[in-house]
Amino acid sequence: MSEMLQYDFMRVALVMAVLIGLTAPAVGTFIVQRRLSLLGDGIGHIALTGIGLGLLTGTSPVLGALVVSVLGAVAIEVLRARSRSGGDVALALLFYGGLAGGVILTNANGGGSATLQSYLFGSISSVTVSDLYVVAGLAATVLAIITLFGRELFLLCLDEEVARAAGLPVRFLSVLIAATAAVTVVISMRAIGLLLVSALMVVPVAAAQQLTRGFWGTMLTAMGIGVLSAVSGLAGSFEYDLPPGPSIVLLALAAFVAAVTGGSVVRRRRARAALDGVAAGPGVEARVDAEAEVLG
Amino acid sequence: MNPPAKDPAPPFAMTGGLVRRDGREVLAGIDLRVGAGDVLAVLGPNGAGKSTLVKALLGLVPLAGGRTEIYGVPPARFRDWNRIGYVPQRLPAGGGVPATVREVVASGRVARRSRRRPAPFTDRAADRAAVERALRTVGLTDRARDSAHLLSGGQQQRMLIARALAGEPDVFVLDEPTAGVDARSQAALASTLHELTTAGRTVVLVAHGLGPMEPLITRTIELDHGRIVRETALDTLERPA
Ligand SMILES: Nc1ncnc2c1ncn2[C@@H]1O[C@H](COP(=O)(O)OP(=O)(O)O)[C@@H](O)[C@H]1O
Ligand SMILES: [Mg+2]
Repeated sequence: MSEMLQYDFMRVALVMAVLIGLTAPAVGTFIVQRRLSLLGDGIGHIALTGIGLGLLTGTSPVLGALVVSVLGAVAIEVLRARSRSGGDVALALLFYGGLAGGVILTNANGGGSATLQSYLFGSISSVTVSDLYVVAGLAATVLAIITLFGRELFLLCLDEEVARAAGLPVRFLSVLIAATAAVTVVISMRAIGLLLVSALMVVPVAAAQQLTRGFWGTMLTAMGIGVLSAVSGLAGSFEYDLPPGPSIVLLALAAFVAAVTGGSVVRRRRARAALDGVAAGPGVEARVDAEAEVLG
Repeated sequence: MNPPAKDPAPPFAMTGGLVRRDGREVLAGIDLRVGAGDVLAVLGPNGAGKSTLVKALLGLVPLAGGRTEIYGVPPARFRDWNRIGYVPQRLPAGGGVPATVREVVASGRVARRSRRRPAPFTDRAADRAAVERALRTVGLTDRARDSAHLLSGGQQQRMLIARALAGEPDVFVLDEPTAGVDARSQAALASTLHELTTAGRTVVLVAHGLGPMEPLITRTIELDHGRIVRETALDTLERPA
């Protein structure tokens, strides 16, 4: 650890890993509950076209990725809202179009397979301090959105019709979730790579929900797992000269396996505690009666 | 709770309501006015269009013909959603992220929030008090920290009712709140509704049968194949003027 901290790029990369570990699972909690686990994946495909466009126009690839993936995310949300059945195929077209277009554009700009590889699977050594400022700004934006709109977004994810009957701007909030996911893809792409970013949105959440009972608890636990896997994955990739993205994702998957194992132990213990409580207490029937008494 | 202010426009008014789903008329020729303080039961067999009707009243399902208003305003332009409490037929499963009972109930406070005051600046104490009160009313206080999806059907029903209660609305719209609920809980629900109605709240209630709620009901409509086939006004209970 101390050895790698001697390198400037590693210090920058570690701060970035913390930011990614916080934001990706936070957004992912909403994404998973809305059954949009593959949304991040699709946005990642589309973002590659943005990178290509950024290289083509001589502006920054990050800016290109940001603009194109936010637009793509909004398009996906509109398509989803418009049609239930046709939406699926339209999404596929968008994804593959984005990926193919991105590869062609990147190649056309003299970006060889090394450039492409670094965007698809992440590369930490190329990260600069100015990249970090951009990522920090975007991460702060994402976390601010979740803090400000968290309660509304929670109700939207819980039950869209109830959210509408509560007067929430459901269209706007859905687009907001998709756009936030797009920003998260851009935040994470440098370190993790476009093909694996959505793993860090989904896997820590899947791990956390084995252990938790509530929504916000799941989000916070997932953020903890995200930070741990991002930081240790990065350290491991430095230590053993591995690509960072796959290392981080494999560690998140290991956390998932551990959570499944640990979760079943926790649940069994809770069930036993509940049984003991009933045995010691007034018995099931009496408890139900007492509850009904309170109701009446 | 103070009785709601007198409104010239009724909570719900639908004329010639027509709803199509997949090209089929699911509701047709619906004329329905729900006045303030009414306790209306919507009856009818499965697939008659009861859920569709309450969703159309709330603007959740678009009308293919006719018009509907909430307090005199079409749903698309209606703003006072904090006056409406909608209890859906069930809690959607979603993607499997858990939510505690308290989190679900607290989400009923969202419509109370001012647009100009985002989450961190709202009146936390009032929110918490309303949520605790709602949990106590339905008898779920000791389950507040449990995962909502692990409750029994009847408990989930009560949790969804508590969510609407937490919002302190003037109008309650409940879609089959007694489905899968045992007799005791039905009686408990009836007594909760009794409190609401004596406080002058308006209730629209979808049900198969009335059971212990019968004395509270002031009007019934019966749907079949998307049409109102029977209407009754029962004045069995002394209603506050
Ligand atoms: N989203 C939908 N798409 C297509 N048909 C629907 C939809 N929702 C309800 N229906 C149809 O509308 C009819 C009325 O349904 P519903 O209002 O749920 O009845 P009820 O609540 O009285 O059981 C049924 O025939 C049902 O199949
Ligand atoms: Mg129904």
